[in-house]
Amino acid sequence: VHEVQGVSLDNTATVETPERIRFTHHVAGPVRRTLAYLIDLLLRGAVLLVAGLLSTGAFTQASARASWGLWLLILFVLEWGWNVGFEAFGNGRTPGKRALGLRVVRDGGYPVTFIDAVLRNLLRAADFLPAGYLIGLAVMAGDRQARRLGDLVAGTMVVIESRTAVASRIVLAPEPTAQELDLLPPRPPVTPDEVEAIELFLRRTHLSPQRRLELAEMVVPTLARRMELRPSDPLRFLGVLYRRATRTRGAAEAAPPRAP
Amino acid sequence: MNESEDDFVARRRADWDEMDQLVDGRAWHKLPGASIAHAAALYRSVAADLMRARGAGYTPELIALLDGLAARAHASLYSAPPYRLGAVADLLLREFPRTVRRYWAFMAFAIFLFVLPGLVGFVGARDSRAFALHVLPEEAISQMEESYAHDPGQGRQDGDNAFMAGFYVHNNVGIAFRCFATGILFGLGSVFFLVYNGLVIGAVGGLVYSAGHGTNLLTFAAGHSAFELTAIVISGAAGMLTGYSLVATGGLTRFGSLRRRSRQIAHLVLGAAAMLVVAAAVEGFWSPSPVAARVKLVVAGGLWLMVILYLTLAGRRGGARPA
Repeated sequence: VHEVQGVSLDNTATVETPERIRFTHHVAGPVRRTLAYLIDLLLRGAVLLVAGLLSTGAFTQASARASWGLWLLILFVLEWGWNVGFEAFGNGRTPGKRALGLRVVRDGGYPVTFIDAVLRNLLRAADFLPAGYLIGLAVMAGDRQARRLGDLVAGTMVVIESRTAVASRIVLAPEPTAQELDLLPPRPPVTPDEVEAIELFLRRTHLSPQRRLELAEMVVPTLARRMELRPSDPLRFLGVLYRRATRTRGAAEAAPPRAP
Repeated sequence: MNESEDDFVARRRADWDEMDQLVDGRAWHKLPGASIAHAAALYRSVAADLMRARGAGYTPELIALLDGLAARAHASLYSAPPYRLGAVADLLLREFPRTVRRYWAFMAFAIFLFVLPGLVGFVGARDSRAFALHVLPEEAISQMEESYAHDPGQGRQDGDNAFMAGFYVHNNVGIAFRCFATGILFGLGSVFFLVYNGLVIGAVGGLVYSAGHGTNLLTFAAGHSAFELTAIVISGAAGMLTGYSLVATGGLTRFGSLRRRSRQIAHLVLGAAAMLVVAAAVEGFWSPSPVAARVKLVVAGGLWLMVILYLTLAGRRGGARPA
């Protein structure tokens, strides 16, 4: 099984579908969720402020009182309905969660329903106790999927939506010549894992040239010694080695070379 | 056989992009039939790509991309049923009263926890001002005595009604929600709020009664209390049901046991919230209106009867919907 990059098991949630496919959801921790909450809080505050300013406009005494009633109604709807509405009708995302790439999903990875959204958000009243979501944070700390009481009751969790870009195609400039390739053995003595590591390294184009060189210099001597070579350009060597190895990769996997 | 990652990406990328757009687009059940079938086929091919990428040991970035894409597509394909407006009517006319009756024992216990402290509060505050001072803050007492000293039909300006209706929605529905939510603490929060609210409401009654304004309070409160007190009791019962499910697990995990009942609990709370909105409208506009006290009391009796009949009879007939 392939582990997802550098993420320990305890903040992922694996979901198996009826088709027996496993997905890995990345569970959102308290910090991201708090930030999303604060964004929502600011937005709600802004709506209230606008509503309040409209209420205190130039009205007569009587209608001003009435509009404060409306304002209290808006306050209520924002307090209890903001999250329920956005999560139930926006497929688990309030504006704050959207901004931080979070989504509320059911335990099986399914979209939340209205009932789920109601339960998990009404229970904020309990999670909030005694002040500032202390109970909620304590419960989250003890749960593998960082669920607060509301999540546990509704059967939901908050996940991070990963939207990685497809890794860029490996480009070697210029492409290795036949001459360069022939300097290496037709079946380079590298294991499939090592080839994969080299491939990952070659795709890390966002590293600075100095850092790439530094990393290459750490690994190339070990590899080159196996082939009794002394490459002058470690980066180039890795690229050529990768091309040489992948062209015969099927054969390399059939008979993995023993490490010297 | 062993395709390189670059070739694999180049070959499959168009489908992934299409899937990505489909997932971000409209809900799938709104698409034309042929598109739904196409989307389902695309999902399966992306799922197969994910398996292939894992098996071939492609880069974590690619696997993460496919993982996320397939997971989002899965969520779209197996999405929640679309919302129907009929479900609201179904909840209020059938499910809510049915659930109230199903958990009648919790309702009875909640009534007990609410009414008994209410009586204690009433008698205590009627006979002893010191008792009232223990339960209520002093400024609340003086404000109360002032506001019920005159007939509730007079002394409110036009805008006040709307203001008070807004205030009641904000305050009372909030109280009911808290009364329910704190039930997660093994029911203790709900018990506390039921007892506390009963005590306070009773004490207010006793205080106003001892000041000789009992009739004013009764004519004011009788109408909306049919909805308000009932809804608070139901919220508290829902909270106690929550706590009970955590304790009497029937062999399940605590939250597994709770989740078995979570739909019904949500029905109770939503129904109670709807009743509280009605209560706030009555309290804001009808209760303070300058109608004769006798009319108000008759109407209040009618409302109480209506609420009781609704909770005992509604939804007895008619097919059950699959949950």
